[in-house]
Amino acid sequence: MLGPDTAAYLIVAAFLFTTGALGVLVRRSPLIVLLSLEIMLNGANLALIAFSRHFANGDGQIFALAVMAVAASEVVVGLGLIVAMARKRLDLDVDKLSSLRG
Amino acid sequence: MNAAAWTCLLLPLGSTVLITLLGGSISRRAAGWISTVSCAGAFAAAVVAFVVMLGRSPDDRSELSTAYTWLAAGNFKVGFSILTDPLSMFMMLVVTGVGSLIVAYSLGYMDGDDEERRYFAYMSLFVFSMLLLVQGGNLLFLLIGWGLVGLSSYLLIGFHHERPSAVAAAKKAFIMNAFGDATMALAFFLLIQKTGSLDFDVVFSRADGLSQTVLVLVALGLLGGAVAKSAQLPLQTWLPDAMEGPTPVSALIHAATMVTAGVYLIVRTNPLFELAPHVQELAAGLGTATLLMAGLIALVQTDIKRVIAYSTMSQIGYMFLGAGIGAYANAMFLLMVHAFFKALLFLGAGIVIHALGGEQDIRRMGGLRKLMPKTWLAMLIGGLALAGIPPLSGFFAKDSILAAALAGDTYDRVLFAVGIVGAFLTGLYTFRMLFVVFGGEQSAYVREHPPHAGHDRLVNWSMGLTVAVLAVLATFGGWIQFAGVWTPITDWLEPVAKPLIEATNSQEAVASIISVAVGALGIGVAWWIYSAHRMKAPRPWAVLEHKFYFDELYNGLFYWPAVALARILDWTVEGPIVNGSIVGVAGLTRRTGDWFRALQTGLVRVYAFALAAGLAVLVLVFIAVR
Repeated sequence: MLGPDTAAYLIVAAFLFTTGALGVLVRRSPLIVLLSLEIMLNGANLALIAFSRHFANGDGQIFALAVMAVAASEVVVGLGLIVAMARKRLDLDVDKLSSLRG
Repeated sequence: MNAAAWTCLLLPLGSTVLITLLGGSISRRAAGWISTVSCAGAFAAAVVAFVVMLGRSPDDRSELSTAYTWLAAGNFKVGFSILTDPLSMFMMLVVTGVGSLIVAYSLGYMDGDDEERRYFAYMSLFVFSMLLLVQGGNLLFLLIGWGLVGLSSYLLIGFHHERPSAVAAAKKAFIMNAFGDATMALAFFLLIQKTGSLDFDVVFSRADGLSQTVLVLVALGLLGGAVAKSAQLPLQTWLPDAMEGPTPVSALIHAATMVTAGVYLIVRTNPLFELAPHVQELAAGLGTATLLMAGLIALVQTDIKRVIAYSTMSQIGYMFLGAGIGAYANAMFLLMVHAFFKALLFLGAGIVIHALGGEQDIRRMGGLRKLMPKTWLAMLIGGLALAGIPPLSGFFAKDSILAAALAGDTYDRVLFAVGIVGAFLTGLYTFRMLFVVFGGEQSAYVREHPPHAGHDRLVNWSMGLTVAVLAVLATFGGWIQFAGVWTPITDWLEPVAKPLIEATNSQEAVASIISVAVGALGIGVAWWIYSAHRMKAPRPWAVLEHKFYFDELYNGLFYWPAVALARILDWTVEGPIVNGSIVGVAGLTRRTGDWFRALQTGLVRVYAFALAAGLAVLVLVFIAVR
């Protein structure tokens, strides 16, 4: 098997996922939150492909492609929402979007 | 014979269905004609069946015809069947004959009423119900007819549903009758348990083997139904209130289709009553008490229809006396002639009420004899027949019952004496009504509202002709049987209800002379008070005006305790437990909701944190379990 060991990939994947999760939790700008979500998805993709290579099975790669497609559509919807908010001159701050409070 | 009997039963039902289905697409008068023709057709069918039956030997006159098995449970089977025997034949002729005359009279009386179609549909249903009652081939179908009669009477008494008093009267009649239905149903349950059948012949043949307790309970249950339907003590209070219905309905209830059912029931189930002789004596006693009480109350009534209503109660009392002492044929004979003269009196009163624009208070009437001579004649015939004056029909029937009572033991002779007092009262109250309404000077009310003859020929014909036919029947109907000499009715009913008691000719003579004498005395007293002296009626006793306080008694015994119980249950059960539990569940749900609502902060990052934390917990659990 060429290249680094599977564990190395998994460490990078976990690092990416955690970075993204922290970003989602602490940042307030919806743009950055969306960006962090993408980082999380890519961390997950990296783990999928690493395992695919580890087990010499193509399923993981196919699943990663599906995740990418989902991520692309999600970005379209998310960015559309953010543009709509900007047009209405709302503050770009997720903490202020709390009209669903019980 | 069976085909004719089935036709007789189903024609009135067919007309009810037809009128109901056609609804507004036929004229009101057409509905009346459909109903009249169907009842007349039923009478024709009954006559055909009667002629066929006449041609057979007396032992071969009973025939059971089963359409199909209506209900089967294990060994217990009940067929939809009709029994055609001399007794049911007798009742079929009376019910359809008098019934169709009354329906034909309604054509004129109800003309122009807004809801004529509904009225005639109900009338046909009423006749059908009574026919099912008398023709039913087993006790269950008798009970079904019994219940349907109660229902139809409820519908017709409450016909003027815009009047609260009519609705109340309908409910009162229905509830009192339902009480009787219930006691009958209980008796039937007992019979099913002990004899395994509801067929007349099976029940009667197995009744011998039953214990005395069971027999007494069954007979009491049947008697309960009979006194409720026939308005005898102690369930009599619904009958005067039932005068809220239109006058022909009162005539139908009193003459043909309802209150006579109790007498029919006792005669029909006479083998059961004879095995429980004390209950049969009780029936005679109740009838006698009722005839006395009703006669006394009738003396102070001021509503023309109520006077006649109490006279019915009193006459049914005579029939109960007859059936109770075992003079079945005499009771059925009185039932028949009573149907004639009572229908005559009611329909005659209906003409008076109609002509005076709905007035029913006899104190506002007077001097109608000159203005309505034909009606006066009809009412006079009805009154004389009711008071038992020969040669009119009431004399032959009532006196043979009294003679049979005279032929019995001491108990029966006491009943005879009371019956004689009743005969005096009958003459008195009947002719009080007649003299006040028709005799003397015209009252102020009559002068202001002179009776107007209608211009519609159909109205005049339908009301005049039916009353004329009934007047003829009331005059000559009694000649069918003359006790001791000529007894076709007794012979006719012999195979079904063999009399327990027969009066000798001298007893017949004594009873006739005494009762005619006291009846005439009653008429004389009425003439002296209300005609010769036009006296203001003696101050009526309060106890009579309040009908012996039966309504007040039942209010105190049943109504107020029920209301009190309902209030107590409202405070103790309904409020805290039933209502409280519902309010409690709702409150608990709401408080839980309030509590959970606090979790919904609306902050996206908190939700994201919850997700992440949940994921972290899952990962930790996953690692730990591995």
